[in-house]
Order: sequence, then structure tokens, then C-alpha cells
Amino acid sequence: MDRRLHGRGSLFDTDPPGLAARLVGLRPYQLRSSPYEHDGDIPFVVFAGGRGLGKSALLTELRAAYQGHTPVALIDGEEPQFAGPPPERPGEAWSPLAQALTTVAEQLAGPVKGARRISFPRLASGLLAVAAGGWSDQDMPRMRQEAERILLLNDSRSFLDGFAGRWATKVVAKLVATMSHTGPVVEPIIEATLEAFSEGISPNHRRARRAATWYRGYPNAGGNPKLGLILLSGHFRADGGSRAHAERHLVRALLADLDDAYAGIVQRSHRLGRPVVLVDNVHAPAGRNFMECVLRDRTDGIRDQVVFFAALRGYALPNSPLRPSGGTSMALRNASRRTLTEVARTTGWEPGASPSSRALLVSLPPLTPDDTLHIVGAVCRGLTLPPQLPHATHRLTGGSPLGIALLAESARQNLPRGADSLGALLTGEVAVREDRDGRPAYQELLDRLVPGGRLDELTVLATAHDRESALALARDRLPDGFGAAGVLRLEEQLSEEGWPAAAGQFVGDPFLRALLLLRLHHLDADHAEWRAAHRALIDHYGERDTTDAARYRLHHDLALGTVEFAVTHLRDSFPETDVGQWLSSLLFIASAPYYHAHDPEGRDFDGGHDHRTAVALGHTDAAQQAPEGVDTVLHLRVRRLLHAVWQLTDPLVLPDPQVADRMRFDLEQLSNLRPETTALLWRASRDWPSDALAGRPLRIPRDDEDRGHG
Amino acid sequence: MAARPWRWLREDVWEIRFRRYVALLLAATLVAAAVWGGLRLAREDRSCATGVAHPKGSGDCVGVSTTAYDFGQPRFTATARAIDRENHRLKPGSYVTVALLLPFTTSAPASLNDTLHELQGAYLAQYQANHGSTGEFPQVRLVLANAGADGTYWPRVVDRLEEMSKGPDRLRAVTGIGQSTDNNKKAVRELTRRGIPVIGSSITADDLANGQGGKDPFPGLARVAPTNTDEARALASFAKPAADKALLVYDKPGDPYTRTLQDSFKRLMPGSPNPEQPFTPPADRTQEGTTSNQFRQITQLLCSTPKSTNTVLFAGRHTQLRQFINELGQRGCMDHRFTLLTGDEGSYLTGDSKLDRKALTGNLSVRYTALAHPDAWRKGTVATGGSASDTATLDELVARGKQAPVGPIGPIDLDDGQLIVAYDALRLAVQGLREATPSGATTPPLADVVNEWAFIKGQQRVNGASGWICLDVHGNPYDKAVPIVELTPSGGARFVRIAWPEGKPPAAACLPRA
Repeated sequence: MDRRLHGRGSLFDTDPPGLAARLVGLRPYQLRSSPYEHDGDIPFVVFAGGRGLGKSALLTELRAAYQGHTPVALIDGEEPQFAGPPPERPGEAWSPLAQALTTVAEQLAGPVKGARRISFPRLASGLLAVAAGGWSDQDMPRMRQEAERILLLNDSRSFLDGFAGRWATKVVAKLVATMSHTGPVVEPIIEATLEAFSEGISPNHRRARRAATWYRGYPNAGGNPKLGLILLSGHFRADGGSRAHAERHLVRALLADLDDAYAGIVQRSHRLGRPVVLVDNVHAPAGRNFMECVLRDRTDGIRDQVVFFAALRGYALPNSPLRPSGGTSMALRNASRRTLTEVARTTGWEPGASPSSRALLVSLPPLTPDDTLHIVGAVCRGLTLPPQLPHATHRLTGGSPLGIALLAESARQNLPRGADSLGALLTGEVAVREDRDGRPAYQELLDRLVPGGRLDELTVLATAHDRESALALARDRLPDGFGAAGVLRLEEQLSEEGWPAAAGQFVGDPFLRALLLLRLHHLDADHAEWRAAHRALIDHYGERDTTDAARYRLHHDLALGTVEFAVTHLRDSFPETDVGQWLSSLLFIASAPYYHAHDPEGRDFDGGHDHRTAVALGHTDAAQQAPEGVDTVLHLRVRRLLHAVWQLTDPLVLPDPQVADRMRFDLEQLSNLRPETTALLWRASRDWPSDALAGRPLRIPRDDEDRGHG
Repeated sequence: MAARPWRWLREDVWEIRFRRYVALLLAATLVAAAVWGGLRLAREDRSCATGVAHPKGSGDCVGVSTTAYDFGQPRFTATARAIDRENHRLKPGSYVTVALLLPFTTSAPASLNDTLHELQGAYLAQYQANHGSTGEFPQVRLVLANAGADGTYWPRVVDRLEEMSKGPDRLRAVTGIGQSTDNNKKAVRELTRRGIPVIGSSITADDLANGQGGKDPFPGLARVAPTNTDEARALASFAKPAADKALLVYDKPGDPYTRTLQDSFKRLMPGSPNPEQPFTPPADRTQEGTTSNQFRQITQLLCSTPKSTNTVLFAGRHTQLRQFINELGQRGCMDHRFTLLTGDEGSYLTGDSKLDRKALTGNLSVRYTALAHPDAWRKGTVATGGSASDTATLDELVARGKQAPVGPIGPIDLDDGQLIVAYDALRLAVQGLREATPSGATTPPLADVVNEWAFIKGQQRVNGASGWICLDVHGNPYDKAVPIVELTPSGGARFVRIAWPEGKPPAAACLPRA
């Protein structure tokens, strides 16, 4: 079971059974049945989460876990094949959903142990009727190719039936024959198709004949399957709401064919569990339309026995203005919402009246520090790891499976080359696959986390703290065309993709922000962009005179390597400011990114040596001269503390235990200077070193928490 | 590695119901086949041949063989094949079956020889009966019945024989029987009780005969050999031993044979001054045991008798007889001449390698009544009771029996008389069966055969190779010729002369006293 994903046991467990086993009725990776949790109605499971949370990996793993044991199909709504019709194929005879159904059926027909290939006569005849709407006698090869692909769906490919596809070829020949004369295309095709199905030249003709009559039930068909198919084809071509109607029937045809494959004692005695359909990026049109059809049918009482697992980027399906069918889109508003850990033993799901209530939205939690430890350990087997690396990795990535996996891979490749910090691992080159050249890890990560343009803009805006500063930055540093609208669009995109918002940061997710800032820093050789962005923000905040503005300004000063302003501010404000606020200012200012040493002008000068440790440990104190009239001890202490916090909270370096110890001492000493709030500083002196070393974020202790908090 | 087949079974077979059912069906079939095969194998184990099987706890092949099965004794093979060949030659419906009940699985060399000779004799008689110039019916099918080396399994053999008498085998008589042991007696009693005629070839015991004390405990039993009493009478007429010259040595407690002989001897010598000397052999009389020791002491006693005591009457079985003779060969008084007289058990010693032949050269002659002897009629000294021509018929058959089409039936030895009496017994059986067959029918009713024996006399007598066989109303031969033979140091038996139970040969009419 080495393949099992870390931290996803709630889904893949076998004993007691996890979510997958309970829904599919089969243990993952094993051909052994498992009791069902939902007997009649099955929830449409939607895994929700931002990029990099491992949704796609989860679906891929589900497919691996069930492939060969039960029919499985995995489609990705964002695949190029669903984006638009292939060239030469008219759009009126093509839709993302129809394409998705073809792909899904082809995959479901894959070999399953102990059972014969599933055939899809209903779906095939429906798809054929739809495709016929785009055929003309001008383009025979294309028509031949399309028809054959669709007809192969009806191929049960049993050893009794001879060679695969012989039947399909025969029918195609028949269809071509009907095309030879001019005139309407759809009707003769449908007629020939139905004839082929019902005449018994089909491999398993009894089933096929039954299937051929299925379209009798199409509205207004009047019991005539041929008319039903003609209407279906017409509706599909008409686009708009009627296409959605036709699509629903196609989905229904797929599910009916699947049900047929599971009907009867003989069939059931060959099959275990339920078929599984996996839809990645379900928010994309192909997936979304598919899901809507299934949910609506289930709401209408048309039951099926298919287990759907879908992956949704973000946490809600927004009301899509792009959906052309007018008013039929849905937002999963009434879906039950759970976290993955909550559904580990039972879903507690009950269908409601609305279609969206048929869905079960399962959010994927980030991985735990332990999972991180296991993943890094597994990838870097045989390497001596710096002891804080797994925890620091978790702190940097916030438990993002993608981040952890890539950093672990980078550690495997770069630790032997001398990399010693997370920053070095991120900038170090990683070859994701053996046949690919290495690229810096952070670029590899950003490509996956922020695909498809706007990366450059986001890179600059990552330094901003809110919409206002972002707009200011855009005005100053981004092309004119981008403007305020661009900022707002990016903001919306971030939230749609499930990135969390955070106070005081335009890019809320610390990991993404760290990567973007790293990219900004490395945009050009002399870091001009980097410095310009920070200076722009310093200017922006320099115009304001609030405490917050001062903090932001000092933060960016620090990012540019100017320490003195921050030290002065903290030193001077220490006696009067509320200790909690002072600590929070300290933390915020010290959260400034630190990219290997800068001189006062912000330029590298010592080739990557981190001087914060030396300062924090007091090695440079002797050379420091406090300004006139200033308490030298306090000055030096604040300076040391600032550097210590800066070093310990820098997600890109490993926390230094010596620095943590020194920080504890300095905080203790500071607490003596503010007798009225000693407890707060004392608490911080206790919590911060251990939190820092364990890779936890440092928190401002609250007054009422000063006791008993560990 | 053991997990993989298990996982395969658990997941790829058991979980998929269709495969599970197929596998279960297959497994059930396999188990059934295994059970059936096992049972069959187990049964096969018990079986030796068609109709013959090991009883539980015994190595003997017991039952009635209708094939060429030789009971695992190579010396029987040729004859068994000849019999099977002859049986197969018979047309369905033209024959009746006669069973030859003998201890075919015995391991004692003497008994084996006897059994072989009886088998050969019975076959020759069968061949003669089926190939007679007159083509009389019914013809005879011969089957071999074995109740174990010591006859322990007689009940199952009797059951089987009864079944055959009622079924298409049409069994109408059982011949052979062999020695007069308790088991044989029980078998004969049961067979006759169930109405199956029995013809004893070499049984001589008085209590395995009808008419003793006026009772017929074995209705339908006919005998070829004279009773022990008759033998003893013949012996007595031969030796006319004076009471004061004889000493009786007898088996105590004895079996029917020895007791008969003992009683007959006692009657001959009322008031003998010499004490009777008992000995006690092992329960199985074929075992050596420590009886020699007893004989040595009896020998010493003999030596202490006056010189006039020159006759020893021995009532015992052949193993003990041999031991006694061997001891006598070592006796201290070699100058004291003795003649040892005994019954037909003496005939076993002719082929006995354990016999100390030198003993016969030291003033000791051993004479015994033989059942038959090939030289008995050669001189043709008597006009009635038997004839040389009857012997010649057998001799000719024996000669033909050396090769096809009659034989081969293995090495033939007539000296012990077993072949002759077995031949005569089957001839007697054939005579009875044919006489009992109503004209126009091919098969005699069983009951008629039972009643037929009383008519075998006078002109209907059987002119046996061992002498005339005229049966009295009890089925015992009347005044049957008893050859007295003497054991020779070379291991053979020298014919001395014929003795008659009645003291003289029967009249030409050969009608027994009422």
C-alpha cells in the first residue's frame, strides 16, 4: 500500500471502511466487497479546495484504487478536448458534455476482473443521432471516424463475438450507404442505426433491441424511438435550453446503460460494487453540465447506481454567467458540507428537495505536520535530513500537498548538493520527471498554483496588503491597461480558486505569497523590480500617518534590508504602547521577506550569508552604537529581538535553536521593563521559542491566556 | 508468498459471485470425486479378485472366485487358469456350478500340496464330465471357495454360496472341504442346513458324517473317503493287533478326527495292559510347539515296554506324527522293533521335508491308511470294490493334463491320493447332479440333489479311481477300499495292500447293509 496518499485515510481506509469503500462497496486496491452506507440515494461527492490541495491526485488515486475491479472513468473538465469542438466539426453537433459522455463511456468499458465489457447501446444511439446533425456527404472520412468511435461503445467485445469492432464497421458501412443520396441526413442515419440495433446483427442483440426502444420515452416521441431520436438530435442542435434538455437525456442514457449492465442475477453475480465516475475540475463546463444533469435526474427520482467523485476548485460553485442555457445553472448552495475527516466513518448525508442537496461537498484539509514528516521521510529515504526540515516545510507550505511533495522532491535532489534552507530548496532546480530538465522549484510550484497568465501581475501585487495598496501598486508598477479592473479581477479569481483571504495581505495564503515574493525577488539580476515594488509601497504608506501605515512602511523597509527604522520604532514605542500591540507590530514588521543579505541599498553583498543569526545572538552588539540619549541596553535588546523573530518566523529558513533560546532570554528581560504587563511578555518568552522551533506560527498571547497555555 | 494464492482465491474467485459458485461447484465435484475415489480405493484395497476380498483384520483373500484368480499362490495358477478356460467354454444355461471349498490361502506346505492336488483332481473330473462322449447334461462349472487358511470365514463363504445357489450361477453342490476341522464342520453343517449338497473328498472324521448314532446331522452330505471308524476297522483288519502288543498314543483333547481314531483304536484293544499315552499339542495343530518334548518321554516309555509290544497306534495329526516319528528315530532302544499304525494323516508326511527319514531305517515302519493310492489296483487282485481300468482312465487324463487342451495344470503327484479322491468326489457330484436332473431339464432342483445320494449304489455306483463308491443311506461310502501304505525312507509311500472295513471286498452288487 505504498501508493496510498498520505493524510487521506478518511477516504481510502478499508477497516473500518472509509468514504470510498462505503460508497463504492469495494475496498480500495482490493477486490473485496464492503458494506454500503447509502442503499438507495447516493451522494454526488464533490471534493472542494484550492489549488495544490491534492484533489486531482485524490481522483487519480481513486482511479488507481478501483481500476480493474469495477468500471472507472476519470475526466478532467479542463482538458483541451472539452474546450471546443475539433476542427471541421460544427459546433451545433458538439458539446463539452457530449464529448465528456463519450470519454466516460469509453473508460467505463475498460476491462474489469470477472465481468464482461459494458456496452452502451442507448448512449451510442443518442450520440449518433446528435453527431449526425453535423454530418454531410461532403466529409465522409470524418463521419466514418466519428460514427465508428460512437458505435464501439456498443461493442461488448466478448470472445464469442469475434473480433472487436467488426460489428461497428458493418454498421458504419450501412450508415455510409444511407448518406449517398442528398437530402436530410439525420433521419436516414437514425433509421439505419435503429435498424442495426434491432435487427439482431448486433453482438448482443437482445439487449440492444431493448435499448433501441429506450427513446420511445422521449417527450413527444409518442412511443416511437425513431421520432425520439430525431427530436433529441433537433433539440441538441437548437442550442440553448433545449440542448440542455437533450443533454440530460444523453446522461440518462449513459446511466441507464450502466444500470442495465448491473441488472439481473447473472450480471450481478459477475460484478462487485458500483461503477465509479471521477470528474476533475467539475466547475468547467463539461463537468458542471454533467453534474447538473445527474443531480437533477436524481432529484426527479430517476435513480442510478453510479458513484460520482468530483473535484471543485474553490469551495462553492459560483452562479455562472457563462452558462448559456439560461437559468439552469446551480451553485451547490444546498449541498451538505463536510470536511474529509468528518466523513471518515459516516457522511450523515440526507438528500433534500433541491438538486444541489444531492451533492456532498467535502473540503480537503491541509496535511498535518505528521503527514509532512511521513512524506518527506518517504521521498528522502536514505538521506540525512536537518531535524527541523519537515516541520519547517509544513510551516512554509501550510500543509499543501503539492508544496510538500515538491519540496520533498527538491530536498531529495538538492540536499546532497549542499542546500541547507527552504529558500535554497525553493530556488534549487528540481526535475519533476526524469526526462525533464530541472527548473527552480518555486517556478514549478507557481506554474501549477497560478496557471494561465496574470502571474506577473500577481507577483507584483503579492507585496500589497489590501485592495488600496494593490491599486496604488498597480498604478505605479503595472501596465496601464491592467488598472483597477485587473486588480479586482485578480482578487476575485483568488477567492474563486479557494485561496484564503488574510487581513493585511493582498495574497492571503502565506505559501503562495512566499512563492510570489521569491519570484519577484528573482525577476531580474539586480532585484530592481523587487526594490521598486517595495519602494512604491513605502511611498504609498509614507503618505499616511497611522500606526498601521507605519507598520507597513517599516515592513517594507525591512524587506529592503533597512533595519534601523524598525529598531527605532519598536524601541521608542515599547515603553508606551500596549504590549500586545507592540508584539503584534514586532511580528508583522519581522514577517518581511528576507532574501539573502542586502546592503543598505538593498543589494546582495555577501553571497547569501544570513547575518540575522549573528545579530540576534548579540555578536554584533559591540560594533553597534545606540543613538544619543537612547537606552543602549533596550536598543540592543530590541534589535536582537527583531532579528531573532525575523529569523525564526522566516518560512524560508530553518529555525535556529540558539536564536530561539536567545529570544527567550531577551523577551524575559523585556518583561522586566514593563512590570504591569509582565505576564504577556513572559508568556511570549515561553511560547515563542517552542512554537518557532516546531514550525508553528507565533501568536500574540492574550491577557486571559497567560496561564495554563502551553 | 503464501499470501498470493490466498489473495487470489479470496479476491479473484470468492468475491465475484459467479466465480464463487463455479468454484464451489467445482470444489464439490472434486470432493465428491475424491470421496468416491477414496471409497472405491478403500474397497479396492479389500478386494483380491472378483468375489474375493480381505475380511477386516485378515490378510486372507476370502470368498468365492469365479475367475482365474489363484489366491496369490503361484502353484495354483496353471490349474486356476485351466478351470477358468473350461468355465468360459460353457454355454450359458448349459451348466450348473459346483464350488470347490478348500483352504486355498493356507501357508503350510503340506496343506498347500494337498490343496493343489485336490484342485487338479477336481479340474480333471470337471474336464472329463464336460467332455464325455455322450454329451450328458448338465455340464459343470467349477468355482473356487476359500474360507481362509483355517476356515475362520466360513459364514461369509456359506452366505455367498447360498446366494449363488439361488441366482443365475445355479450352484448345486459344494465339494472339497478338506480336513475335518471344527470350522469345516460348522461350514458343512450350515451348508447342508441351507439345503446345499456337500461332497466331502478327504474328510474322514466320524462326527463329520451322517449316520453316527443313527442321526443325520448333515442332510445332503456325501463322502468319498471312508469314516475314521471304517478306516480304523480296515486298519484293524489289516493289522489284527493283539491287545497286549499295542500301545495307544493319542491327542488330548484332540479334534473330531483324532477322537474318532482314538475311539476306534480303543474299541480294538479292550483291556490292553499297556497304558494309553496322551500328548497335548498347540491349539493350532500345524504348529510345532513343544510337543516334541512330550514325545521323547513317550519314546522312553515305549522302550521300557516288553519286546512283545511292537505296535503303536497313533491318534494324532500329521505334524505331531512327524515329531513322534523323529523322536522314535532317536529312541534308546533301536533294537526294539515297532510298527506305527495311524490314519490318513500319515499321507502328509510323504512331502514333509522336516521328517527325519533315517528314523524309518531303524527298525521302525510307519503304516497308515491312505485315502487312495495310485498302485492300489495295478495288480488287479480283487474282482470287486475297484478296478485297474478305473485307475487307467484317470492316468490317461493325468497324462493329457500336462499340456493343452486339457492342461497344463502344473506338476502332478498322485502318491498322496488327494488328487484321486478329489477327482472321485467331483465325479460323485456329477453323477448325483445328472441323476437328479429330470429328463428334458438342464438343471436339477437342489432338493433332488440332496436326496440323490441314497441312490448312488448298485449299478449307479461310481467306479472311482480310489475304488467303488456305493453310498449308504447316510451318504457314507460302503466298504470303501482302504489302501494301507508304508512310508519309505526315500519320502514316498509304498503301497502295502488294500484293507476293507468289512474285512473283505464288497459284493458285486455293492449294496450297503441297511
